[in-house]
Amino acid sequence: MILFRWHAVASWTWDAQDETCGICRMAFDGCCPDCKLPGDDCPLIWGACNHAFHLHCILKWVNSQTPQAHCPMCRREWQFKG
Amino acid sequence: MEESTSLVCNLGILEKLNDNSIQEIIKSYGGFCTTTESLLNGAGDLSVGPEFVLHVHSLCKHGLQSLVCDHFLLSLEQAFEKIGVTNFWRHFDSYSKVGVLQKNNSSIYDDEVQLVLCKALEEMALEKQYQEKCLFMLVHALQLHKESMFEGKQNADSERAHLFAKYQLMVSSVLMASLPLHFPDILHRYFKGKLEELSRIMDGDLEGKNEFQDKDSMDLDEKGKHRTGEMDIDESYNHGKFSEKNKLVKHIGKVVRDLRSLGFTSMTENAYASAIFSLLKAKVHNLAGEDYRNSVLESIKGWIKVVPLQFLNALLAYLGDSIGYDTPSSGLKSPLASHLSSCSSEIDTPSEGLIRWQLRLEYFAYETLQDLRIAKLFEIIVDYPESSPAIEDLKQCLEYTGQHSKLVESFISALKYRLLTAGASTNDILHQYVSTIKALRTIDPTGVFLEAVGEPIRDYLRGRKDTIKCIVTMLTDGTGGNPNGSANTGDSLLEELNRDEENQEIAGIDDDFNSDDKQAWINAACWEPDPVEADPLKGSRNRRKVDILGMIVSIIGSKDQLVNEYRVMLAEKLLNKSDYDIDSEIRTLELLKIHFGESSMQKCEIMLNDLIDSKRTNTNIKLTAAKQSQTGAELGEDAVSLDILDATIISSNFWPPMQIWHLWHVLEAQGASRHHSMWFPEFQDEALIVPEPVDKLFSDYAKRFNEIKTPRKLLWKKNLGTVKLELQFDDRTTLYTVAPLHAAIIMQFQEQKSWTSKNLAAAVGVPEDVLNRRINFWISKGILSESVGTDSNDHIYTLVEGMVDSSKNGGNSGSCEELLVGDDEGESTVASVEDQIRNEMTVYEKFILGMLTNFGSMALDRIHNTLKMFCVADPPYDKSLQQLQSFLSGLVSEEKLELRDGMYFLKK
Repeated sequence: MILFRWHAVASWTWDAQDETCGICRMAFDGCCPDCKLPGDDCPLIWGACNHAFHLHCILKWVNSQTPQAHCPMCRREWQFKG
Repeated sequence: MEESTSLVCNLGILEKLNDNSIQEIIKSYGGFCTTTESLLNGAGDLSVGPEFVLHVHSLCKHGLQSLVCDHFLLSLEQAFEKIGVTNFWRHFDSYSKVGVLQKNNSSIYDDEVQLVLCKALEEMALEKQYQEKCLFMLVHALQLHKESMFEGKQNADSERAHLFAKYQLMVSSVLMASLPLHFPDILHRYFKGKLEELSRIMDGDLEGKNEFQDKDSMDLDEKGKHRTGEMDIDESYNHGKFSEKNKLVKHIGKVVRDLRSLGFTSMTENAYASAIFSLLKAKVHNLAGEDYRNSVLESIKGWIKVVPLQFLNALLAYLGDSIGYDTPSSGLKSPLASHLSSCSSEIDTPSEGLIRWQLRLEYFAYETLQDLRIAKLFEIIVDYPESSPAIEDLKQCLEYTGQHSKLVESFISALKYRLLTAGASTNDILHQYVSTIKALRTIDPTGVFLEAVGEPIRDYLRGRKDTIKCIVTMLTDGTGGNPNGSANTGDSLLEELNRDEENQEIAGIDDDFNSDDKQAWINAACWEPDPVEADPLKGSRNRRKVDILGMIVSIIGSKDQLVNEYRVMLAEKLLNKSDYDIDSEIRTLELLKIHFGESSMQKCEIMLNDLIDSKRTNTNIKLTAAKQSQTGAELGEDAVSLDILDATIISSNFWPPMQIWHLWHVLEAQGASRHHSMWFPEFQDEALIVPEPVDKLFSDYAKRFNEIKTPRKLLWKKNLGTVKLELQFDDRTTLYTVAPLHAAIIMQFQEQKSWTSKNLAAAVGVPEDVLNRRINFWISKGILSESVGTDSNDHIYTLVEGMVDSSKNGGNSGSCEELLVGDDEGESTVASVEDQIRNEMTVYEKFILGMLTNFGSMALDRIHNTLKMFCVADPPYDKSLQQLQSFLSGLVSEEKLELRDGMYFLKK
């Protein structure tokens, strides 16, 4: 027996601890309210505190919180995880 | 007063009478009576004339003029009754059963009838002529007397007219009184026969002309040489025809005149009118028939002008002034006359009567054709695009007759009888629905009647389960909708609609944005009110544009349902693709976006995008793999390279639900009974265990994906997808395209030729009953064989080595066996909408059962309302009445509930 081609199906998921974004309450595997396409177009970002959010969501949050932004979940100072 | 004076006068005369004069009166009265007798009964013997005149004269002298007239008319009447009438009717006695015999050998009878009628009429005319002569003699005698009395002509003409009118009245009343029942029928047949003859002559005439024209155009170059000769022949030929026709018309005219003189005016008219109508009807039926591909209206109109109108024209002209209303009215042209300014070259000044006739005939023709077409409307619509000429005809007819309601009624009953039955497939019904919409749109652009006709179809389709699926297929399938790429060149309905839409849109834009005042005025001027039948509840503005898609969507109820169904179908289609070719899907999606809006197609767009991304990621992964194998060839010994694995990576949140097996395992852990699987389509239960080398490929692929798209990882849906594999035996190789489960099963046989079903099920990780069902695929292909093992519940599957019964597949090497995964035993990779709803509905089962325990019995809408009231949170009840009904009927079939008289009970 020879296998010619196996066309499989898989789904991707963000390797995050949580299911939904703490800001927009949308699923991580979905996208933030401003985006249309999930995945590369609407990535996740982790903070130093290990909380993940949609990139667009947290950017909005950070920009609105001047001068110093805090993580919406744990109120620690927000820093992007290197 | 006058009466009394004449009475006095007469009495005066009586006094003056003496014996002599009495004697004279008696004598001349006796003479008058005998001469009258001999005059009237003697066959044409006028020899007693002078004597008669003498007696009349002497009687008149004594003022007995009225007695003379009365007696003469009385005896005239008696004589007419005795000789004329009986003789006249005797001619027709033998045809008293004509009505019965009409059907068979009518032509022989027709000829006979014609002859007899002519003969009888001729005899009658002779008789009448003779009697009129006698009457004239009396008039003459009276006149002589008057002249001698008053020395001058005094209203003699009026006297004569009075007498003749009396006579005429007498004749017709006597005839009418003794009229046999079948005489009108005979007249009808006579005219029918004559008209048919005439129409034959005319048809021949037409053909002759056409022939001549053909010949004329054909040898145009030889025209110069033969022209004159041909013309001569043709003219004489035409002349012959013409005279023949004239003779015929004259003959008919004579008969008509004779009949009229006998007082049969209205009966005659009825007879030839009905003959013309029946001829016209036959002609219409003959021309229209079963052929819907040609327009027949014009040729019918032409025929009316050529045959019956010509006939009537000639007839009216022949009868001349005898009838009042059809005198040539060149002076007083009625408004109707404008209709036929150029009616026919041979009719110079169409009389009013003729115009009336033409309008009558045309109306009749329209009505006949309309009835004919309406009766066959169903067939016409079945082959709609080809039958559009018939539709056009019908449209014109209806414009003329205005009997739209007839069409609606008859078509609806035809639909109910022929289309909306259990035997018709949903696809056929839908196609007919679309054709109906298109056809009726041409007949009636306002769409009022379409609404009436469409309603029953829509209602019926709502009751069918596969309606949505068929609609979606019809809308989206078409060019390349088939993943196998079979030559299906037909455009999808959607594309067609789109084209229509564009055309309409252009018109619509013109309609809406005309800033030009003049144009606005023109638009306002040609505003037309909605037809009377229009439903005033629906605005006329949106009725303007008959929206086929809208009408189709209205069958389903909402576009959301349609979009949802499309999503499920799209998912299935995409998951079964092994090349990432989605051009046609993209195209369809774009079209759908135009109609349903971008936001409602969002999820579908993501699905397509996933495929595009998958393709890119797939090539990326392959590239990295190739690089690695070049540098360090680590997985050399395993023989299965990453090249053979392609993957479709989906954003599972945006695809219709398909993996409920997690849920299934939870349930199983809780000890849920097996039959629950009816809510969980079994395919989704399978946590497939793929063979070791493939599994290694999977994890390798996933690792690489993880490397490329870091914090993302892959979750395999191992039971989805397609596998192409080749089975090699000693004598043959066969190519298969199968589902992963089938591949997993057959790969287990590589190391071990024989498996018990229990072990095999454990090896591939599916429940035993699922395995037993799925393995049938290989058994039916003759690859595996089944035998009962030691335990009667345990089957043993063995690989068939030497192919004995391979003839089934055409046997030899290289034969390619393709199996569409979706086709296999009706399994579906994606939970259908119905299943989804059922899954969602199970939550409410407890509520419903509880309700019914409390209330005993409940009607459907009460259950619906109660659920709405109480299930407001987690998950809120948002199902439609229909969905609830189908769920409840599921419960009934499970024997949990009982349905009696529209009330649901708990089954005890």
